[in-house]
Amino acid sequence: MNRNLIEQIKKIDIFNGLSDEALMEITQQGTLRILKAGDALMKKGETGNSLFLIHSGLVKIITEDSKGDEVILNKCGAGEAIGEMALLDSSPRSAGAVALEDCEALEISRETFQKILDARPDVSLQIIRKYSHRLRFATTYIERAIDWAQKIAEGDYSFIEQSQPLLNEAGSDNAKAAQLLSAFFTMVNKVKAREEDLRKEVAKLSFEIDQERRKKDFEEITGTEFYSNLKEQAKTLRMKRAQQNKSEES
Amino acid sequence: MSVAKIVSVHSFRGGTGKSNTTANLAAQVALAGKRVGVVDTDIQSPGIHVLFGLDEAKMGKTLNDFMHGKASMKEVAFPVHEHVSAAPGFEKLKNAKLWLFPSSINGREISQILKEGVDFNKLNEALQNAISEMNLDYLFVDTHPGLNEETLLSIATSDVLVLILRPDDQDMQGTAVTADVARSLDVPHLVLMINKSLAIGGEIQILKENTEKQFNAPVAGLLPLSFDVARNASRELFSLSQPDHEWSKELRKVAQFVLSLE
Repeated sequence: MNRNLIEQIKKIDIFNGLSDEALMEITQQGTLRILKAGDALMKKGETGNSLFLIHSGLVKIITEDSKGDEVILNKCGAGEAIGEMALLDSSPRSAGAVALEDCEALEISRETFQKILDARPDVSLQIIRKYSHRLRFATTYIERAIDWAQKIAEGDYSFIEQSQPLLNEAGSDNAKAAQLLSAFFTMVNKVKAREEDLRKEVAKLSFEIDQERRKKDFEEITGTEFYSNLKEQAKTLRMKRAQQNKSEES
Repeated sequence: MSVAKIVSVHSFRGGTGKSNTTANLAAQVALAGKRVGVVDTDIQSPGIHVLFGLDEAKMGKTLNDFMHGKASMKEVAFPVHEHVSAAPGFEKLKNAKLWLFPSSINGREISQILKEGVDFNKLNEALQNAISEMNLDYLFVDTHPGLNEETLLSIATSDVLVLILRPDDQDMQGTAVTADVARSLDVPHLVLMINKSLAIGGEIQILKENTEKQFNAPVAGLLPLSFDVARNASRELFSLSQPDHEWSKELRKVAQFVLSLE
């Protein structure tokens, strides 16, 4: 058996932690697939029945835009697995996969996988642990996202800096979580930037004082007889008060 | 304390939080151990009495009665510290010395005084009597917004004019004119207070500096627009009920500034 293949399969997230012996059994029960450039590995929308481990070569993950043109979502190379979730459920494929060059892949079907699970409680338990860990991980991020969403609603963006390290942490643990976090932070930064621009705009506009009008309004108020009398009275009053203060102090 | 100070609080437009600010400033200065009075010269639309827990039923003699020679200022004075309401934080005023000189809320009396007009000397006598009869250190004057004749009278008699402005074009424009008028009337101290500000972080300093430059007067406080204040301002003195709030902290800066003036 190809040891290199065992090393590769070991790194697939859901198999991570299984014994070499269990991995060997899974590998042995898989089917080796040889693909030429342009061959389709899976089609978007069809029921997924198996996982593919790319042993060598490069595969593109594709979907279509609204006009029906192909859009490449990602490229996967040696050691990467695609269609992992098909081992546990039979949902339609969310994207297609086509070989970009000659490829070798190991296909593990759900049927094969379930036979192994039936026969090996140790493998079942390990898989359950793996998924419960994932679930816990996802829940943690959902809870964080709820907390952050509340902060955003209150205009508090201070969490971004504190939470940036999570991105690296998540990156090593779960690529999807890292993707979500990255998308979330990008969104928050954009919202924050828009808000700051708006606020600056408001602050800037606040200083538009029409100096000519200021002068005109001032002259209108101070030009009346009432005002000249008032000014005179105020002057007298202030002088009187100043004198009083002087006499009180002395 | 040698000489009592008349501190007029004014804003060009309504809705800037003038009465609310005046009441809070007066309370803070009273808490600093000063004997403080608050005169409501907003005879057209008096309202500050509500903030001090004085309702229509309790209202006795008013400034209008003094103006018509029917009462002395001592009789008009309502001792706020002796009528501490159940509003949150209000009990702090129990040991303070704070009197309110309310304006009549009776419609007939309001139209009567507006028709007759307010005499400068009579208003000045009211303020001076309030100071001497209650032995005040500070007398805060809550004015009517805008630049009508009564307001000009209040400005003309004050030692300190606190101008409240909201950072928007129209208000800045009117406030600029008010500041010019105050200088023309030789008001010794002009103090600016920005209310309902949206500035945060570094913008606060920019807004402050720009405003000081435009008006050539110090900005003693920059109070943030706050839903907390909006919710509670009409029924309590916010700086007493929520002293740790950013709004209250900035308000105390203004009170400190007023206290520091010679």
